[in-house]
Amino acid sequence: MFPWNYGFHWGAVSIVFLGAFYCVLTVISTTLILALRRTYRSAAQGRADRIRWRSEFQELAARDRLCRHMLSGEFPYRECRNAFDCRRCEAHARILEKRRPAAVAETEEEVFGMAFPLDRLYHRGHTSVLPQPDGTALVELDELGRRLIGVPDQIALPQPGTRLRANGTGWRIRKREADIRVLAPVDGEVVDVSPARGGCLLVRPAEAAFDHLLTKSEVRPWLLREMERLQLALTAQGAPTLADGGVPVDDILASYPSADWDAVCSRMFLQP
Amino acid sequence: MLMFGLYSAGLCLVKGLNQTNMDNRFAFGLWIFLDLTVIALGAGAFFTGFLLYILKVKELGAVINSAVVIGLVCYSGAVAALLVDVGQPLRFWFTFWYPNVHSMLTEVTFCITCYLTVLLIEYVPIVLRNRRLRQVPSFLIFEFELHKLVYVLAGVGTFLSFFHQGSLGGLFGVLRGHPFAFREGLAVWPSTFFLFVLSAAAAGPSFILLTTWLVSKISNRQLVRPEVLPLLGRISGMLMIAYVLAKTVDTLIWINHTSPGAGVPAWQYYSWKPFGTWILFAEIVAFGLIPALVLLTPRLRLRSNWLVSAAALTCIGIALNRFVMTLQTLALPTLSFDPFLSYFPSWQETGTFLGVVGFGVLVYSFSFRYLNLFPQERDLEQPEAAPVREPALAGRY
Repeated sequence: MFPWNYGFHWGAVSIVFLGAFYCVLTVISTTLILALRRTYRSAAQGRADRIRWRSEFQELAARDRLCRHMLSGEFPYRECRNAFDCRRCEAHARILEKRRPAAVAETEEEVFGMAFPLDRLYHRGHTSVLPQPDGTALVELDELGRRLIGVPDQIALPQPGTRLRANGTGWRIRKREADIRVLAPVDGEVVDVSPARGGCLLVRPAEAAFDHLLTKSEVRPWLLREMERLQLALTAQGAPTLADGGVPVDDILASYPSADWDAVCSRMFLQP
Repeated sequence: MLMFGLYSAGLCLVKGLNQTNMDNRFAFGLWIFLDLTVIALGAGAFFTGFLLYILKVKELGAVINSAVVIGLVCYSGAVAALLVDVGQPLRFWFTFWYPNVHSMLTEVTFCITCYLTVLLIEYVPIVLRNRRLRQVPSFLIFEFELHKLVYVLAGVGTFLSFFHQGSLGGLFGVLRGHPFAFREGLAVWPSTFFLFVLSAAAAGPSFILLTTWLVSKISNRQLVRPEVLPLLGRISGMLMIAYVLAKTVDTLIWINHTSPGAGVPAWQYYSWKPFGTWILFAEIVAFGLIPALVLLTPRLRLRSNWLVSAAALTCIGIALNRFVMTLQTLALPTLSFDPFLSYFPSWQETGTFLGVVGFGVLVYSFSFRYLNLFPQERDLEQPEAAPVREPALAGRY
């Protein structure tokens, strides 16, 4: 069979036995080669961000994957099955058709002492999108996101011209042990960047469809839920939270020097 | 333990198998007992994979990563012990180059090597899901793409496990010179082939149940939803009762037909102390029927102490079965002038055994610390908080 193996003779038993063995080896190696080929193809097509979000979304705790319409009371319980991309959600489209125009006259939502202007849209990864008259959109951290990070140690912003994918990497912030990947709220091309206020991007959106972002009446229930999540995340770190009410301080991290901030931020910025 | 094990194994490799208390008559000792036991307990990896990916028992997704790590630890430990046991580890490849296709051991070697490769491949996505490693895009994509094909690996793993678990049993069943172990069966497979498959499939879920419970207690965390462990217990119980029935029938056939046919009345085997009939009773009833009935009783299964005790008894029962097949078989005389052999492992053998155990504990502990072995843990780590109410004067003072 092999060189220097002079005593081996092929027979029915050896054909069946070694045939089965080599079939198994073939299946194992084909599986590996197939996975490697697909990896190469996906990497060449630049699908890493999409795959990352799909994979990470599945790993979020069930209570972090709740549908926006559950937060606003339109469903008693519903987990999102579209990785927070409501643009391809039929239920979302149906609800929007039925929903009456919200009578929100205020220009700003104040939650726990934090101001959330209602002239913009909010992404669940704590960024906001402010459409500009020239068709671009200003993307930055929302107030809670800013307070979570305080003054960043380091910001890595994308170069102008970079293509962003909704729920892909927008920019990265480093603060103490936390390496935070801020999720991009929209698809589009980066026009300009600034490191101010934890990072700002001016983006030319690929399409003007912002259906997946939270709007006026949804902001308050979402933020109340976010405060609940923050409270849980901090409790896990042994930090006392909101025992007597109060509002989040400007730099939450500075108040908890011993907390594992990587764990808290990964939870709040949707990175399991 | 690991360092002591490495030292002991090193002595055996450098100085030879004279460091052990085995000899040409008593050629299977503590290491083979360890191999057979850990391979049976590690069967949870293939059986859980089969139930989850092939039969779509989705609830088992909660323990599949842990099952793969347990499987990997058990099989790599077994292979490490075998490398020391063969005495000439540099010639391990002879079995592949010069295969004796009529030998059960050849099949076992081929299957275990292939299955260890499958387990290593299945372990890769678990490692690559680590948060730091996932930052590397090619690792992330490879993990994603490999995970999509994991059902193929689960199928291959099931095929390989079925045959090597069976062949490990068949190995004893074909020993005509040892009528205590010899069994008749189906075609080329003695009944022990099927009993080993069934018993390993029964013990695997129990061992996963036991380790999950133990890790949960040590880490003081809830790792899986409350219904998962009873489900594992139920699966184990169903297979265990089937095994106990099959084992009982097999034993009755052996006592009344096979053994007398070989010229030895079966009672004679149990006249050599300490291997009395108690060992048969313990194997089939105390560590077989009783835990099976406990695991099949819903009321008892839902109580943690009963569930865990029954799972532990199941695992002990399978270990006892492997002990009987390995050590009792070799100790008993086969010819009228043969003496009753006795064997006690040397400290080098014990050290190597402890080294394998230490290796297993370390690999599992590191995996638990750095990898996501229990996906439900994230959902269960904190109780749902009461809805946060905004203070009436928030932001106004």
